[in-house]
Amino acid sequence: MIGPIISSGIVSQAWDNIFALILGMGFGFALESSGFSSSRKIIGTFFGYDFVVVKVFFTAAIVASVGLLYLSYFGLLDFSLLYIQPTFLTSAIVGGIIMGIGFAMGGFCPGTSLAACAVGRIDGMVFFGGMFIGVFLFSESFPIFENMYYSGSQGAKMINSAFGISPELFTFFLVLAAVGMFFGAAWVQKKVKKVEY
Amino acid sequence: MERKYTILAVLLIVLALGLVILPKKNDRKETDPKILLSSIAERSRYLTTDQVTHRIIENDPTLLLIDLRSAGQFKAFSLPGAVNILPDSLFSQTNNELLNQSGKDKVFFANSDLEAEKVWLICTRFSVKRIYIMKGGMNEWFNTIIKPTVASATSSSAELDLISFRNAARQFFTGTGQATAQSATSKSPEKVQVVRKAATRSAGGGC
Repeated sequence: MIGPIISSGIVSQAWDNIFALILGMGFGFALESSGFSSSRKIIGTFFGYDFVVVKVFFTAAIVASVGLLYLSYFGLLDFSLLYIQPTFLTSAIVGGIIMGIGFAMGGFCPGTSLAACAVGRIDGMVFFGGMFIGVFLFSESFPIFENMYYSGSQGAKMINSAFGISPELFTFFLVLAAVGMFFGAAWVQKKVKKVEY
Repeated sequence: MERKYTILAVLLIVLALGLVILPKKNDRKETDPKILLSSIAERSRYLTTDQVTHRIIENDPTLLLIDLRSAGQFKAFSLPGAVNILPDSLFSQTNNELLNQSGKDKVFFANSDLEAEKVWLICTRFSVKRIYIMKGGMNEWFNTIIKPTVASATSSSAELDLISFRNAARQFFTGTGQATAQSATSKSPEKVQVVRKAATRSAGGGC
């Protein structure tokens, strides 16, 4: 058997939504059990008293990168069948800035706000409401932003090709950077006054 | 950091290092010869210069133009948004990723069809998907889009539509409008000879 199991036709595409539901529930459970439904925990990254967000996301990135490359190496995964989100540089920069501001102000990202909603947190519901209004307004006014949205098209670009190195070497550097960041974050956390929440 | 996390971090570094050290595998898939032959017989790989131009003007995000000419020619002039890939380095690391972008229509072109056909064949053999050739290459593109076209008195409405599209496209690429384009082809205006009427002589005498 070779993955991805839906794109390669092993499992019918009709199962897409079922898998999405199961994976979504698993993701939501992981977010809640890591404490991501608390905006004060998430915002701790910006104040230096809690780096769990950075640690969790970096861990996910490096485990997935190393895992995918090994699966591909041993012939268990066809890399060419994986969907890679195309890069639109301008909208990525503008969207990144807006998302960053929203993240710092609200203490949630889209996924964690839903996790907060699910456990009944009012701040999470307010954040989700704001996000919904933002999505609605953007959709309705899309023709105004269309040119900007599609500008700077880079295709499905991989970051290692931008540096001109192999995916394996880039992953190695990424793991080194992540591990360095874990130690750095632990050191900063020791220096910063603890916040109880 | 706790000891268990330190052990996990070291394990991840070792695994990542293993990826770098492991010998590289050549896992390029080759197309079945029968399928390759039937692909060669098909004409669906060709896109006209008008189709390509339309997609450039529309800013189609799924279009990836690949200029196969030399770096010097590419630098001198190429189609907007095109990337330069030399046939010698077709399957280098960076180019391989470009060619395997699943969401893109890769359109090859050179000065004529010859180079593009060769590259298309190699890519088809190695199972690269969604690849096309701009029929006639840059020469044809220049002849159809940049060179002015004048409608004849017997042109059909479809031909007139095509000519007006090409005029608009020319304006898009060069900033030159239809009037200038037509003036490039038309001869110098003929001198109008004014024939003056002879002054009428008033009738002598009278009643």
